[in-house]
Amino acid sequence: MPRLKNKIAVVTGGSSGIGLATAKRFVEEGAYVFIAGRRKAELDKAVAEIGSNVTGIKADISKLEDLDRLYDTVAKKGKIDVIFAGAAFVEKAMTLTVSPEHFDKTFNTNARGTYFTVQTALPHLNDGASVILVASAGKNKGFPGRSTYSASKAALRSFARTWTSELKDRKIRTNVLSPGAVDTPMFNDQFPSQDAAAEARKQITSLTPLNRLARPEEIAAAALFLASDESSFVAGIDLAVDGGLTAV
Amino acid sequence: MDRYQGKKVVIIGGTSGMGLATAKMLLDGGARVLVTGRSQGGLDSAQKELGKGALVVSSDARSLTDIDALASRVKTEFDTIDLLFVNAGFSIPTPLGGVTEAIYDEMFNLNAKGPFFAVQKLAPLINRGGAVVLTTSVANVKGLPGQATYGAAKAALRSFARTLAAELLPQEIRVNAVSPGPVETGILEKVFPTEEMRAHVRGHTLGIIPMKRFGTSEEIAKAVLFLAFDATFTNGHELPVDGGWSQL
Repeated sequence: MPRLKNKIAVVTGGSSGIGLATAKRFVEEGAYVFIAGRRKAELDKAVAEIGSNVTGIKADISKLEDLDRLYDTVAKKGKIDVIFAGAAFVEKAMTLTVSPEHFDKTFNTNARGTYFTVQTALPHLNDGASVILVASAGKNKGFPGRSTYSASKAALRSFARTWTSELKDRKIRTNVLSPGAVDTPMFNDQFPSQDAAAEARKQITSLTPLNRLARPEEIAAAALFLASDESSFVAGIDLAVDGGLTAV
Repeated sequence: MDRYQGKKVVIIGGTSGMGLATAKMLLDGGARVLVTGRSQGGLDSAQKELGKGALVVSSDARSLTDIDALASRVKTEFDTIDLLFVNAGFSIPTPLGGVTEAIYDEMFNLNAKGPFFAVQKLAPLINRGGAVVLTTSVANVKGLPGQATYGAAKAALRSFARTLAAELLPQEIRVNAVSPGPVETGILEKVFPTEEMRAHVRGHTLGIIPMKRFGTSEEIAKAVLFLAFDATFTNGHELPVDGGWSQL
């Protein structure tokens, strides 16, 4: 039995990494998925890779007009059952060197963008929908160079609490999914060189009790749990998928 | 359905409520299941409900002798297992002044000591890639009147999930906890002697659960099976299934 049969899902940050893996899994489980991403070429590639029951929409979640356009398109297909808010911006920067531009870009994408991704969606959501906010294990840690990223993700954890209260009458559940380090293009892209990425990989692996990075499919499996009726009494939580990084 | 085909599972405290619901789901999915319980009536009704395919074994979850015997029985029946679900536990709600040494010991023996030794004795039988799931409780992060010893014993159990996750890493066994809020398991009837008390607890509970209802045993079972078989990068974690109670 497919677990998301005839459901409509929106996946932001859906053209690569964990968003793409999640979109793929949702389609496999019977859903129709709209993936949103900023880069047209990547988006086209992702749509081709997923194959069927998918539409790609070019959208930057930090731009409200893009979000309006995203949901106008989705509304033509029907009401939304699942939002996987995975779009994010990450750039490593030590506090001393953080510029106002870096600060704003990080918060405008991760916190503000996610906030309006959900707010704009509200009229288009079915009662009983599941909203999944992708945060990060880093928000519970004090990793150097992550001050803005981790704090912007901590804001998502708080949104999930408040929205669970505010949306309970519509039986809409909001939960957070917090990945640790995942083997994705985004992991490498945040470092200036391949050597730096390899060094970071070694370091995070040694800090992670399971002694490896996650596969994107493992994040997708957790997303499916939160998206489906399997988690029907799970609300306002932060689900760690970090190989034990924050738990142990 | 063959989602759990080939899996071998032991459920300690599996003759009613959440344990029984988990056993049913596993059997439906093709797994082999051994459940334990204490009362003869519970064992009989569980055997009837689960059918001949299930092994229903009399074992006191507090008794180290019984746990040893259980480990030998499991070795004989299954040789190895893929999941150990340690679910046995209950509360004797008692205000501070009324807690006797016997109640204190009972709460810690059943909710902390028994589960600890169950993992110690059965972990050697768990296959690489297998899992342990412990049942904690929302009470371990709340200050619920009358639940001091139960809440503290469950907090100890939550801590075991972290340390045992770390210690079982070399065997590639993940240890996680599921933390139920109020669930319709029939336990209210066991814990509270009069209908008046039960009605009071029900009314009070519904008033404070954000989702305004009790959970079902099936909802807990789904979370357990997610942690056991799908959450391959989640370790040392506690997954609340409490309608948002502990989160908002």
